[in-house]
Amino acid sequence: MFKLAAKAIEVANKHKVDFGDIRVVEERNQVLAVKNGEIGALTDETTLGYGIRVLYKGAWGFASGREMTERAVADTALKAIAIAKASRLLMSGRVRLAHEPAYHDFWQTPFLKDPFAVPVQAKLDILFSLDKTLRGNRKIKVAEAEMTFMREHQWHMTTEGSRIEQVLLNSGAAITATAVENGDSQLRGYPCSHGGQTLGGGWEIIESMDLAAHAERVRDEAVALLKAPVCPAGVKDLIISGNQMALQIHESVGHASELDRVLGYEESYAGSSFATTEKLGHFRYGSPIVNLVADATLPGGLATAGYDDDGVKAQRWHIVKGGILSGYMTNREFCGRIGRDRSWGCCRADGYSNIPITRICNLSLMPGNSSTEELIAGIKDGVMMENNVSWSIDQKRLNFQFGCEAGWEIKNGRKGRLLKNPRYQGITPEFWGSCDGIAGPQEWRLWGVANCGKGQPGQRAMMCHGSSPARFRGVKVGMHG
Amino acid sequence: MKNIETTLKKIFKLAKGVQCEVLAERRDSALTRFADNVISQNVASSSLSFSVRLQDGGRSAKLSLNQADDGSLKRAVASGLEILKKQKKDPDLLPLAGPKPLPAGRDLYDRGTAELSPVFRAERAAELARACRKAGQVACGTVDNGTSELVIANNLGLFARWRDSFITHSVTVTDRDGSGWAEQPSHSVSNIDFKRLNETARAKAAASRRPRDPKPGRYTVVLEPQAAADLITYMSAYSFGGQFYNEGRSFVCGKLGKRVLSPLLTIEDDFLGAAPGLPFDFEGQPRSRLTLVENGVLKTIVHDRKTAKKAKAAPTGHALPQPSYFGPLAINLSVKPGSDSLSDLIKGTERGILVTQFHYTNMLKAQTVEMTGMTRNGTFMIENGKVAYPIKNMRFTQSMVEAFANIEAVGDRAEMVAGWGGIACPAMRLSGFNFSSATKF
Repeated sequence: MFKLAAKAIEVANKHKVDFGDIRVVEERNQVLAVKNGEIGALTDETTLGYGIRVLYKGAWGFASGREMTERAVADTALKAIAIAKASRLLMSGRVRLAHEPAYHDFWQTPFLKDPFAVPVQAKLDILFSLDKTLRGNRKIKVAEAEMTFMREHQWHMTTEGSRIEQVLLNSGAAITATAVENGDSQLRGYPCSHGGQTLGGGWEIIESMDLAAHAERVRDEAVALLKAPVCPAGVKDLIISGNQMALQIHESVGHASELDRVLGYEESYAGSSFATTEKLGHFRYGSPIVNLVADATLPGGLATAGYDDDGVKAQRWHIVKGGILSGYMTNREFCGRIGRDRSWGCCRADGYSNIPITRICNLSLMPGNSSTEELIAGIKDGVMMENNVSWSIDQKRLNFQFGCEAGWEIKNGRKGRLLKNPRYQGITPEFWGSCDGIAGPQEWRLWGVANCGKGQPGQRAMMCHGSSPARFRGVKVGMHG
Repeated sequence: MKNIETTLKKIFKLAKGVQCEVLAERRDSALTRFADNVISQNVASSSLSFSVRLQDGGRSAKLSLNQADDGSLKRAVASGLEILKKQKKDPDLLPLAGPKPLPAGRDLYDRGTAELSPVFRAERAAELARACRKAGQVACGTVDNGTSELVIANNLGLFARWRDSFITHSVTVTDRDGSGWAEQPSHSVSNIDFKRLNETARAKAAASRRPRDPKPGRYTVVLEPQAAADLITYMSAYSFGGQFYNEGRSFVCGKLGKRVLSPLLTIEDDFLGAAPGLPFDFEGQPRSRLTLVENGVLKTIVHDRKTAKKAKAAPTGHALPQPSYFGPLAINLSVKPGSDSLSDLIKGTERGILVTQFHYTNMLKAQTVEMTGMTRNGTFMIENGKVAYPIKNMRFTQSMVEAFANIEAVGDRAEMVAGWGGIACPAMRLSGFNFSSATKF
C-alpha cells in the first residue's frame, strides 16, 4: 500500500506543498443482531480507499477516492491541491503545523482471539440464546442481542517522511429488553444500551462480558420498571454509575475541551465551548477531587493507537487536574494557539473519505478512595442513576440534561426502591464542582462510546471513558414534560 | 450507471441461484466549511458502494463492499454464500420483493449544481465573511453540493434507479454575545437565495445581542420552521412507523381514525410534494403518497413489507435498507400551511418566546414523544404582540403529543428543512410549552 501512497506524496512534493499526507484505510465491520427471535442484522462490510490532505501556501485542501491505481491517486492529489488553491480566497494567515518527528513504525491493538475467525453461526447461537432468555416474560415486547466487530488497517504517509502502519481492532456487544404495558415502555440493557459496550480488543472482550449471566436480570428489571414509581422531582444528591458517568464525562468535559471547538471552528454545527483558552491553568472546572486524564495509550481504549492521523505519537495528559482546567484535545494546526509547540495528538478521521479533525481522546475520571456503599451512606435524600438513555447539552457545553435507564431512591444512607424515568440537569462547572466522593480503583472500569458524531460532513469517532461511581450534591432531578 | 449495471450482472451470476438484492450507491460530494471569517475546511469525496443481500430458504446474509473488481466481488459473495449454508432457517423471513411498476419521481437532478467548483463555494463564503468583518461579526457555516445515484435491483427482475443533485447553504453568524442562523437545502443552486440567507443570519445575530435572563416555566412559543420541523420529524419517526406501532411503542397505537393531535395539524408524506424525493423505497417498492394526520386525526401509518405483514396491512413503500433496526420511516414529510404569516403569529402572542432553532434535541421517552433540547441562534421574548428583547437560551422538557395538541396557529409558508430525508414545515404557535431551565448565554 505504501507504494500506492507514495504517488500522492510525489504529486504533493512536485507542487511544492507546505505539507501533504495520504491515509490508505481498509475497514471491515461485522454486525450481528437478533431481535425478537429473528435475525435483526447480519452484515459484513469492507471498504478500501484513501484520503489525501494538502496544505498549499498555508491553505487546506482534501480529496478522497476509492480507485486503487496510481493514476487515480495522482488525480485525487491534484484535486486536493485545486481545492486548497480555492481555500486561499478566504484566509487570514497561513496555517502552520506544530513540529512532530517523522516515524517509520507499525502498531496494532493487542488482542487474544481474532473475532472475525469465530464462525458466524457460533455468534448467532449465542445471540439467539440470549434473545430467548430476554423474551421469557410476555411483557417484553422488544428483545435485542447484538455484537459488532471492527478492524481498521491504516497506511499513513506524509511529505515529512512518516510511514506509519496501524491495525486497530474493536469488539462490542449488548443485550437490551423493552417491557411494554398500559401505554408505558421501559428499557434495560447490559452492559448498556445505545449499541452496547465496545472496547479495543478481540473476542475476549465478548467473553469477559458474560452476557448470559445478566440476561434474566435485565429482563426482570425492565418489567419491574413498569411498576416502579417515577423518579420524584427536586434537588437531591446524586450517585452516577454504569455508563452514565461515561456520557457525563464525554459531553461536559470531552467535547468542551476540543480546541477546535474552543476556538470557534465548530460553531456552525456542534457549537463552541465555555472552556475558553484564557481559562487554561486556573479555571475551576470541578472540585479538588476531580481529575480527568486523556490517554491515547490506555489499554482497551477505543481511541488507543500508536499515532493519531496527524502522525503524532500517543500521549497521556491531564484535561482537569485537581479540579482545574489543565489541557485540551489538540491537533497540530491549533495547538500553537495555546502556546504549545507539540500537539497532544487528537486528530482523527472517520474512514478513508473524511479529513482528520480534532476528536476526544480516551478521557477518564481518576478513581477516588471511597466505595459505592460509602457514597450511599453519606446521602440523606438522593437518587442513584445507572446507564444512559438520553443526552442533550447546549452548544457551549454548559446546560445538560441526561436520562437514565434505572434509578434507586436513597434515604438516610440506604439504597431503596427502584425508580423509573430518572433524569437530571446541571451546569457543567457547578455540577463537577459539587462532586464530593468518587469510588476507588476497585470499582473503576472502562466504557466505550462508539458513536460520537462531529464535523461537517458528519464523522463518527470512538473513544473510551473510564470511571467509578461518583457522588454529586444538590442536583436538580426528576424533570418531566 | 453502466459500470453499476455491469457489476450487478456479475454479482447476480456469482449468487448462484439464491435470491440476491443489490443496493448500489454512488456519491460525489464537496463541502466548503468556514469559521472565524476564514475557510477552515475544504473537502471533496467520491464513493461507490454495493450492499448485497443474499437469501435462501429462510436464511440471509448481507455484505457491503466498495471495490468492484472481479476478485473482491467473488470473495464477498462467496463468503455470503458460506454464511447462508451454515445458518439455521428463519421461517418468518420474507422472500425478496418482485418487480412492481414504479411511479415517476420529480426531476431533482441539476448538472450545474452537482458540478459546482470549489472556487464557487469559496466565493459564496467570502461574500458573507467580508460583510461580517466590516460589521464586527463572525461568519461560520458551510456550502456543500454534489450528486448521488441509487440503484436497487434483485435477481427476481426488480430494478429501480434514482439520481439527484443537492446543495445546502448554511450560515451561522456570531455578533459578540449574539448569534443568528439561516439555512436552505435544495436540489438546484438556482433556488438558493444566498443574499437573503446571509442577511437573515446577520440581522438575527445583531438582534440577539445582550440577551436577558429568562425564567423557566410554561410559555406560549412561536416556533420558526426549523424549530417546528425538528420536533415534528422526531414525532413522525417514533410514532408513525409500522414497527413502533406493531410493538406497542407508539402513542398512536390503536388510534387509527381517531383525533390524536390538534385539528390545525395536517402532516403528509409525499415524494411528489413539498419535500420531494425517491419514488420507491429501499426494497425497490413503489412509495405511496400518504396523509398521515389530517386535521389532527390519524389517517394511516407507514409500512415496509415486514411490518405490513405483521399488522395485516398493505405495504406503503417506506422501507429503509433491510434488515432495518428502525423499521419503516416517512422521509418526505410536509406540514400543511395555515393562514398566518410569522408576523401574525407573533402579533397574536401576548407573552411568549420566539424560537429560531433547537439544538441537540433528543428523545426522553418514545411512548409519549417526550423530548428535551436547547434553543439556539436567536431566542426572543414576545410581549404584547411584539418581539420585546433577546433572552438567553433555554432547555425544554416536553411531550410532543401534548405540544402538538396545543397548536394555536400555523404559519402560511412551509420552508424546506433538512431532516431525516427532508421536511417542508411552516412556523407554528403552541401554548403551554415547558422550559425546564436556562443556560448562561
